[in-house]
Amino acid sequence: MIESQQPLTPAVFAILLALADGEKHGYAIMKEAALPAGGGMKLGPGTLYGTLDRLIRDALVEETGLTDDARRRYYRLTETGRRAFAAETERLAASLRTAYARTEARGARV
Amino acid sequence: MNRPNPVFFALYRGSLHLYPPRLRMLYQDQMLQTVRDADVERSSGVMSFWFRLFIDLIQSSVKERLLMIREPIFARPVFFYTLALALILTLWGFPAAMTLQGVMRSAADQPQIQMAQNYASEIASGHRTVEQFPDGHVDLATSLEPFTILYDSNGKALHSNGYFNGEILAPPTGVFTWLRTHPTDKFTWQPRPGLRIAAVAQRIDGAHPGVVLVGRSLTLVQQQESLLRRGTFVTWLSLMAILIGGAAFLNRAQGAAGKPATAHGHA
Repeated sequence: MIESQQPLTPAVFAILLALADGEKHGYAIMKEAALPAGGGMKLGPGTLYGTLDRLIRDALVEETGLTDDARRRYYRLTETGRRAFAAETERLAASLRTAYARTEARGARV
Repeated sequence: MNRPNPVFFALYRGSLHLYPPRLRMLYQDQMLQTVRDADVERSSGVMSFWFRLFIDLIQSSVKERLLMIREPIFARPVFFYTLALALILTLWGFPAAMTLQGVMRSAADQPQIQMAQNYASEIASGHRTVEQFPDGHVDLATSLEPFTILYDSNGKALHSNGYFNGEILAPPTGVFTWLRTHPTDKFTWQPRPGLRIAAVAQRIDGAHPGVVLVGRSLTLVQQQESLLRRGTFVTWLSLMAILIGGAAFLNRAQGAAGKPATAHGHA
């Protein structure tokens, strides 16, 4: 189960990040994940839907049940997914804080 | 509205068969729609766009198929331990059987080694002459008895009590060459198809140089080896069957224990 304390893979985190501000279809997730602010992950359709399938199975993501004109399916985070995303964000933030502190300390010594 | 390159799109649609069937059934339409969407907004060239898509499809197909194999194994510890045990038994069992086979073959060189050394030292010291070699008629095709052939330094047979179809056999030519620099040669001699002999050739030094060859049919050892091979295979097969049967039983028992007690719940 992904909700455990194990770090999320970059692809999983990028998908959760893309869905954190609302439901999206596959291509929208891909586009946002490819942005530097979205993780800079270039996900192809094969990787995207394989990962989405596991996230749905682990109850982190669910289909909204809605489709648009082109019959694109939309996905959103579940409550479990939000908790996992928040936990991972906190873990990464803690790492970043440490990294910044060490970089600054090293800069001060130089 | 832009449409993706029809040739590449058709090829991609066909290549989706690489993807595991369950995922293909669930996501094929979505994947194709995503490709259409990406093609509309693509900033790279046609070739690089499709190249990336195909690479992704191949990589993800391999990954998903491996996960499909791995997940059931690791999800149930009983399958994991069964697989590990089967691997250990196989990796341990086959080398052990091969070692045993090697030991059996080495054992087949006795008593020829001792006999050849004794004869060679007796001739070299003058305690035995050609006339004093064992007489008799050992038929190499049928007998399991050891036989002795004495050759002079030119390879000419001086005496023999072993015959094949009434003839004294000449050893492989390499034996005499080897014995120029080594005192002994142990080898499997196959003078005729189907006839294998565990042979020991010993160089004779001294006043009457030559070679004494003592051999014995390997028929018995071959039968034992064949029995060992069959026994090993049957044992391995039985162990695997027991392991698989045991794993299936434990898996079923675990599954039954994990089921909710519905009868109690409805009571």
